Amino acid sequence: MPPIIADAFTQDHHRCDHLLAAVETRLGDSDWSVISTAAETLIDAMNHHFAQEEESLFPALAQVLPMAEQPIDVMRGEHAQMRQLFAELGEAVAIRDQTACQGILETLHFLVQQHNHKEEGVLYPLADNALTGRAAEFATAIADV
Amino acid sequence: MKTAGLSLDQAPPIGVPFAFFLVAPLFAALAGGLLLWQGEAVLVSRWTPVALAVTHLLALGFLTQIMCGALLQMLPVLAGSPVPRVVAIGRATQMLLILGTLSLSAGFRWGGVIWLTTGAGALGLGLTILIVAVGMALWRAQGVRQTVIAMRLALAALTVTALLGLMLVAVLAGGSSLSGFAGWVDLHLGWGLLGWAGILIMGVGYQVVPMFHVTPSYPSWLMRWAAPLAAIGLLAATVLTATGRTDLAIRGMGLSAIIFVVFAAATLDRQHRRERPRLDVTLLYWRSAMLAAMLAALVWLTGGRAELTGVLLLVGVGVGLPSGMLFKIMPFLSWFHLQHRQVAMRRFSVRLPHMQSFIPETQARIQFGVYLVALGLLAAAAAWPGIGLTRPGGLALILASLLQSWLLLQCWSGFRRFRLNLD
Repeated sequence: MPPIIADAFTQDHHRCDHLLAAVETRLGDSDWSVISTAAETLIDAMNHHFAQEEESLFPALAQVLPMAEQPIDVMRGEHAQMRQLFAELGEAVAIRDQTACQGILETLHFLVQQHNHKEEGVLYPLADNALTGRAAEFATAIADV
Repeated sequence: MKTAGLSLDQAPPIGVPFAFFLVAPLFAALAGGLLLWQGEAVLVSRWTPVALAVTHLLALGFLTQIMCGALLQMLPVLAGSPVPRVVAIGRATQMLLILGTLSLSAGFRWGGVIWLTTGAGALGLGLTILIVAVGMALWRAQGVRQTVIAMRLALAALTVTALLGLMLVAVLAGGSSLSGFAGWVDLHLGWGLLGWAGILIMGVGYQVVPMFHVTPSYPSWLMRWAAPLAAIGLLAATVLTATGRTDLAIRGMGLSAIIFVVFAAATLDRQHRRERPRLDVTLLYWRSAMLAAMLAALVWLTGGRAELTGVLLLVGVGVGLPSGMLFKIMPFLSWFHLQHRQVAMRRFSVRLPHMQSFIPETQARIQFGVYLVALGLLAAAAAWPGIGLTRPGGLALILASLLQSWLLLQCWSGFRRFRLNLD
């Protein structure tokens, strides 16, 4: 199967990696309005990614491939953990706590990396196999930002 | 349909890798103790009994111990394949590795066939258990192809290193002679340092360097060819040594060394082009280790003192790189396991500390500074023997190792404290 879903969603992962690195770069400048905008851009991009997965790709996959439900549950759980970190990042930006921001971004980065590794290695290849006819539809939706 | 990679929750209990990580610095401290005690005698020649003891305390007690713990931890994550019966395998391997390393090093330092053979026997058994268990997992591994191939080659290199080591101990203990003995020793350390350590570093680096700091990937030609070519160089050296051509065998190992230099240069270049701006202690350790590896190759290829090459490889790469990785891996594993527990217990009222609070960056940087002093002093002591820098170097290595030990224990106790809060 051509890895249409895997390629498109992996590319979106990389987009989010770049945005996280951009927030870290902005932190060095100490301009809090710029930092705040960069953090919001990151959080919006990741929420868009989660929404595409949780509302569209995962339900479609679970429907045709019931054995994917267990790993999907794990992925949803990790999304919830990341949303918790988004909330903490928002609070740290609001009170302009640079050290806290750094710590949260570092933790978020590592959580994201191991999470993406599992999606890219397991779930997306499964989706490409199971959802051949609709792959282009999911790929277009994730790229639509 | 492939289903083996479906279970996403295969990581071993945190106590398994942590046991390896927490004990390892004590062996580096012990090596520092021998350097402090024996002084200049250690670095006068690589063949002195005490130099052999220090070498094995670092190569087995520190480096191999951490690599074993990291392999058991990483296989499910990087290669999608867990190690069977990981708790029992981990405990047995570690006990035998500790006993074997201490006994072998004592045998080198004080002589005594009983210590050498006990050490070799324990190491042989412990490494066999590890090799069989990890080998079974790697057999089924999926994951990123180049990393899986590098891991398989590294495990094969460990097997050859161990077999050569057993053969050399048999010769020493049996009082028999082996023609070209020095060539066989070179081959043993070539397979150990360039094969087991070098190839595993490459395979892991392909994944963690881009992942840790958001850098471009390694060039695909490098990932495809580096590990297999390094293994071919070592294989050629083995055939040449076995046929009595030790003069040419060096060239085979030279090929492997040059490949590692290319890998080191590519790594420094990737990290220079990273997107995450922070220069954290893990990155500092990677840089010093890659520079030490390149310098070691330069000294070796230009016919410099073998003792200097040894210090650069064992302390510069063998102690440095794992140290930098532990400062990142242990806080993440602590946080990740706590997080997992939190979700399982639904205890969201407890706010978890972030990764950096498990090992504060400032303290880790101080540890890196002390380590750099140790590396500098020991490299100078090896380059210019007799100027009296070995003892200060040994003392600095003890301090760096104890400081590292304290920081890692802090991480562990932080984990346990929060774990109790979640129960």
